[in-house]
Amino acid sequence: MNDLTFAKIDQTVLDTLQPPDRSYWVTVGILFIGVLTGAACWIYQILTGIGVAGMNNPVAWGTYLINFVFWVGIAHSGTLISAILHLLRAGWRNPIARAAETMTVFAVCIAGLFPFIHLGRVWLVFYMLPVPNQRNLWQNFQSPLMFDVVAISTYLTVSSLFWFTGMLPDLAVIRDRATGLRKKIFTVISLGWTGAHEQWRHYARGYLFFAALATPLVISVHSVVSWDFALGVVPGWHTTIFAPYFVAGAIHSGLAMVLTLMIPLRKIFHYEKIITTGVLENVAKTIIFTGLIVGFAYATEFFMAWYSQNPLEMAIFKYRPTGDYAVGFWIMVVCNTIIPLLLFFKHIRTSILWLFGISILINIGMWYERFVIIISSVSRDFIPHAWGLYSPTIIEFGIMLGAFCLFFFFFLLFVKHLPSVSMTEMKEILEQGEDHVG
Amino acid sequence: MSAEYRVMGLFTDENQAISAIRDIKDSPWSMHRVHSPIPSHKIADALELKKSKVGYFTLAGGITGFFAGFLLAAFTAVQWNLIVSGKPVISLVPFFIVGFEFTILFAIFGNVVGLIHQMRLPEFKGLEQYDPRCSGHHFGVTVSCKADDLKGLKHFFQNKGGEVKVISNGTV
Repeated sequence: MNDLTFAKIDQTVLDTLQPPDRSYWVTVGILFIGVLTGAACWIYQILTGIGVAGMNNPVAWGTYLINFVFWVGIAHSGTLISAILHLLRAGWRNPIARAAETMTVFAVCIAGLFPFIHLGRVWLVFYMLPVPNQRNLWQNFQSPLMFDVVAISTYLTVSSLFWFTGMLPDLAVIRDRATGLRKKIFTVISLGWTGAHEQWRHYARGYLFFAALATPLVISVHSVVSWDFALGVVPGWHTTIFAPYFVAGAIHSGLAMVLTLMIPLRKIFHYEKIITTGVLENVAKTIIFTGLIVGFAYATEFFMAWYSQNPLEMAIFKYRPTGDYAVGFWIMVVCNTIIPLLLFFKHIRTSILWLFGISILINIGMWYERFVIIISSVSRDFIPHAWGLYSPTIIEFGIMLGAFCLFFFFFLLFVKHLPSVSMTEMKEILEQGEDHVG
Repeated sequence: MSAEYRVMGLFTDENQAISAIRDIKDSPWSMHRVHSPIPSHKIADALELKKSKVGYFTLAGGITGFFAGFLLAAFTAVQWNLIVSGKPVISLVPFFIVGFEFTILFAIFGNVVGLIHQMRLPEFKGLEQYDPRCSGHHFGVTVSCKADDLKGLKHFFQNKGGEVKVISNGTV
């Protein structure tokens, strides 16, 4: 970072906004086809009925809610990086904060789609909104599902506002170097920002409040998601460890997704001097930490099942590693807790290829974690004659494909049209040193 | 009455800009504005800026939000008046969660309103007295002076190592 200057930072980031080549549009086009596939599957489900998905008694929560929890989890590291690490004055977060925040916004949007898809009769979604209606139907806010509606809507609103506010000075940088229509657009969206001392005075204070408020929010949101399960009486769900366990898992998966996105971004846009190996190494070290917490949570669940001597809890925790979904369980354990331990070795956590590979494996492992938690518990709850297995249908796979494509589609559009690295925050660490930002 | 000019000194070095700001305080010229590409604590200290009042908006939003969330949950509960799982109709613990989420949401709304109000955004007239280089790698110190002092002010900025730009004259 030593040979960086303010001008070089601006130039490197602004170069990423140059008109893209054909390969970019081909990739965008392929992803858009994936999005259309997902949309077609959803339309088919709406026209035919929710029965086209594999959910049935006793497994009424399938891939739609697995994906919901997965994407909410992905959304968490963005706020960790932009808010919590900002409060902790960790300067290494600056190069990746913008992309991580963007990832958060898009991931919450994708997550928010899944309850709609899961509803089946999506036009009845307004039942979840507290609006006066002729049947005097009002929500029951004692239900964790209603906590979820409030929490996810709040998280989407807050993370979007945080994202835009953080980007305001950078939008002005683009405005000042653009011409024609682009200049007009960026003049409007930068709201006339000039970097005047009065603006910075309020901005710095406001940004601090954003970070301070987003920090408890991020912890509460995944806690609330975990209570969707923990407040039920289903064996394997009804446990007080779920909130911290879900929060740690969310940050674990989100950090892995940060690496999955940052490594190609760094290579394609020549961000090597900005997103240094040291930055990626710090993300890897944080992954070791979250991986250990997740591993500890897995072990604690088994311990509590044994310690309680509750036969239903003991049965479900015997079923998970040895039963019908044992493959998923072992993928979860290996990918989330054992493989991240490789990052203890410096030559692995400083190797881009290793980091990329491990990040993908953690993403897979975290998806399976949600699969194991959700499916295994409800497929074998209390009454043996009501047990049943679940497997997703092609429609569910299509919608899942569409969701992943939509996420990467949004992200690709973002990196070519808006600054994917915060120029202002990079200049701050250059001017004031990594330990004195904010 | 002689016309007033606004002159901007453009510096590539933050410390030069700060030195100019400190010296302007003891001069007959009046400081108008400082533009910088980063939020600089040193510049804020040199200008002796007061703490922003954005926090009051945030606090007001948060307090409003808590009561809005809690009362919404209580209102919907009394519409049914059903006892669920033996819990009271107005249950403190679950409704506190709704109150908490609304606290954060409304505090953020308050924060945004506070920022917009205090920063006076959107405001496009400020762009007329601004240099685009200030979003890149320049620090712009804008000072008001009388026509008689214009020459002296230009010299001052040049001596401090800055580039001089007259951004308005006679219309201030």
